[in-house]
Amino acid sequence: MSNTTNVTSMEVEYRPDRPLVEIWRMFFANKAAVFGLVLWTLIIFTAFLGPVIYSTDPFDLVGAPMEPPGEEFLLGTDYLGRDILAGIIHGASVTLAIGFSATIFTVIIGVTIGVLAGYYGGWVDTVLMRVTEFFQVLPALLFAMVLVSLFTASLYLIVLAIAVVTWTGIARLTRAEFMKIKEREFVLAERAMGARNTRIIWKVILPNALPPLIVTMALGVGVAILFEAALSFLGLGDPNAYSWGYMIGSSREYIWDSWWAVTFPGFAIFLTVLGISLIGDGLNDALNPKLREL
Amino acid sequence: MKKIFRLSQFVIVGIVTIMFSITPGFAGPKRGGDYIIPVVQFPPHFNAAIKSGSELATPASRIFVALVQINENWEPEPYLAKSWEISPDGLTYTFHLLEGTTFHDGKPVTSKDVAFSLETTKKNHPFGPYMFGAVDRVETPDKYTAVIKLKQPHPALMIALSMPLMPILPEHVYGEAQGPIRKNPANIMAIGSGAFKVAEYNAGKSYILERFDNFLRPGQPYFDRFIGKKIGSPSSALIAVSRGEIHHLVVGDPRMLAKLKKEKNLFVISRSTSGVGSVNYIEFNLRKEYIKDKRVRQAIAYALDLDFVIQKLHQGMTHRSTGPIHSSSPFYSDQVNQYEYNLEKANQLLDEAGYKRGADGMRFSLDLTYMPVPVIEHEHKMIAEYMKPQLKKIGINIILKAPADFMNWYSTLAKWEHDMSTSNIFMWGDPVIGVHRLFMSTNIKHRVWTNTAGYANKEVDKLLNAAAVERDIEKRKALYAEFQKIIAEDLPLYFTIEDVFHYGFNKELMNIGWEIWGPGYESMYWKNGQAP
Repeated sequence: MSNTTNVTSMEVEYRPDRPLVEIWRMFFANKAAVFGLVLWTLIIFTAFLGPVIYSTDPFDLVGAPMEPPGEEFLLGTDYLGRDILAGIIHGASVTLAIGFSATIFTVIIGVTIGVLAGYYGGWVDTVLMRVTEFFQVLPALLFAMVLVSLFTASLYLIVLAIAVVTWTGIARLTRAEFMKIKEREFVLAERAMGARNTRIIWKVILPNALPPLIVTMALGVGVAILFEAALSFLGLGDPNAYSWGYMIGSSREYIWDSWWAVTFPGFAIFLTVLGISLIGDGLNDALNPKLREL
Repeated sequence: MKKIFRLSQFVIVGIVTIMFSITPGFAGPKRGGDYIIPVVQFPPHFNAAIKSGSELATPASRIFVALVQINENWEPEPYLAKSWEISPDGLTYTFHLLEGTTFHDGKPVTSKDVAFSLETTKKNHPFGPYMFGAVDRVETPDKYTAVIKLKQPHPALMIALSMPLMPILPEHVYGEAQGPIRKNPANIMAIGSGAFKVAEYNAGKSYILERFDNFLRPGQPYFDRFIGKKIGSPSSALIAVSRGEIHHLVVGDPRMLAKLKKEKNLFVISRSTSGVGSVNYIEFNLRKEYIKDKRVRQAIAYALDLDFVIQKLHQGMTHRSTGPIHSSSPFYSDQVNQYEYNLEKANQLLDEAGYKRGADGMRFSLDLTYMPVPVIEHEHKMIAEYMKPQLKKIGINIILKAPADFMNWYSTLAKWEHDMSTSNIFMWGDPVIGVHRLFMSTNIKHRVWTNTAGYANKEVDKLLNAAAVERDIEKRKALYAEFQKIIAEDLPLYFTIEDVFHYGFNKELMNIGWEIWGPGYESMYWKNGQAP
């Protein structure tokens, strides 16, 4: 047996026999979290299979403008005569894509900076944290608006803008976890055995810092979706991507004449963000060993 | 029975007497009160001699007077000039000015100021060459006579001499001795001789003009102050007008009009301001791949169902435009190809041009941007959004480029970076002033509302140059008819719709005058001498 396995077994002493099963059990005991999961299953199903089942292009003008919800159009049409139901279904994938890709970007920036600052400390930490604070004091939405207005709005730019304004939380959290864990015995043991920094960071500390990061990432998806909606609402969205935010933003001037054009996508966003928040809370409870003992 | 009849007669006479005694018109216009107008785009200054634009025209026409005023029948009426003579060859215009008129700073208005104003406008105004290129010189034989000598006949001269195109500027304030005119602080704290003088200017928010007591029309104006207030979205403007925070609102959007009509404290006047003559069009950048092919432009025109746009999206409140000249102009002609909706023909044209559909059914992609002005969103953003699915039907993939703000849009067009954009243009009274600038090959410039399409056609240049100097109205009409035909065939710009503006005025406003540029505020007054 190699030395590394010894270290790992040291750790496992504090854990139940089958940690993953235990996490699932905890998660499913939480009714709200299960509700969130069901919501998200539905939303992901809609995003992937919806366009196949309901193939109307959301950009197409299929009916009279501002047709109220009814037999012909289940959720009505907007001010141009575009089908709201088609928008909701096709918008799901766009909205989710934005949510996930923005979160991935956020994690890449945030974790990299957090790891470097938390692990190396010293002047690296000082410099990186001053940069982080600089980004933290900027009002996030305003900053995102400036970034998007500087260039012509496109999906990539919006994803990038969301990542640029939301990475600070993840960076701070990663840094705190790394500072805490890097002093633990198993890390010291690993170092004493001459492991390289990269190994200690990626193989030893990061897996142990993961639980709170996973929770933050889940919530981050919700934040990213809301950010995109806010930008689109202000008319800064990409008019070529039929997201739910775009639907609200383009129809908001007509809210008194066609409430359905704004309400249904708004409701879709609400459910999606609610779902991911519940899942995040559930994961938080399930992954936090202190709570588990209670 | 007779008694009742007599009694009722008595009552009717009584009611009529009471009605007359309480009607304010009976007692003549009342002075006093503020008049607050909504400002959509805030004017950077008030000097109409160096800048055009409707946001500037309204306040500048209050602050400055012009030589003449154009009435609704397109006839010049006296303003600063009390009378004038035109020589039989049409090359000499002699204006006799009102005596005793002063500027806001108390200095007299003389013919020297008229000559200075014309030179300044010719040199600095974006339409300068079109308005006054034909002017050879201005002679000032005495203080109250100005003689304009032309190099060639110029039928649009009188319109060019009216507000807001040529304000009479005081030379002692704007002259060369005061430094370059574009940097003159009096562009903002303007000195003119109009009905109102500038009292306050809060950049981007509001401006306050106060009554000028020595205005050349005795008695006028009746308002104490004329105030411009920046408004945000159309819906907030509607709330402001219903609360009386602003006193009128101009809308072009059918849904807004329906709401305006529901407001109890407003009455609505619907009329196209014929002088402004706004026409909407789709601008093509003729330098770009695909678009430079005439067949592609024609296919796009055939693929747009403008009847649907007008009837369904605008609820019948806009009109079809057939060319660059507004239909209210005497030079308008509808004898042109009108591009009736025809997808088959559109597809056929693209096939002929050799652009085959790819595996996804698309032939090629084009960018489309639009003018971002909230109150006329239905004519720009909505049209652009309509074009995207519509052009997909003929295999053109439209990539919408949403401009972040007006300047963003402006610079895209000014740099010729666009493929296509929606835009509109004001005719400014005469095609020479408002229309020629879009098509003359000599006017291809890095500035919006010039020939940014990059259209160069010798035939069109020749027709327009001839029309600019043609004094015979029938011959001039024929020249413009030919011009409109060529434009509809070549489609450097595709003219789509004309709009009608609807003014919702506060009910207590009396005596609303009308010029070709819109309401004349000098004659208006409040029923009770104050804003409600």
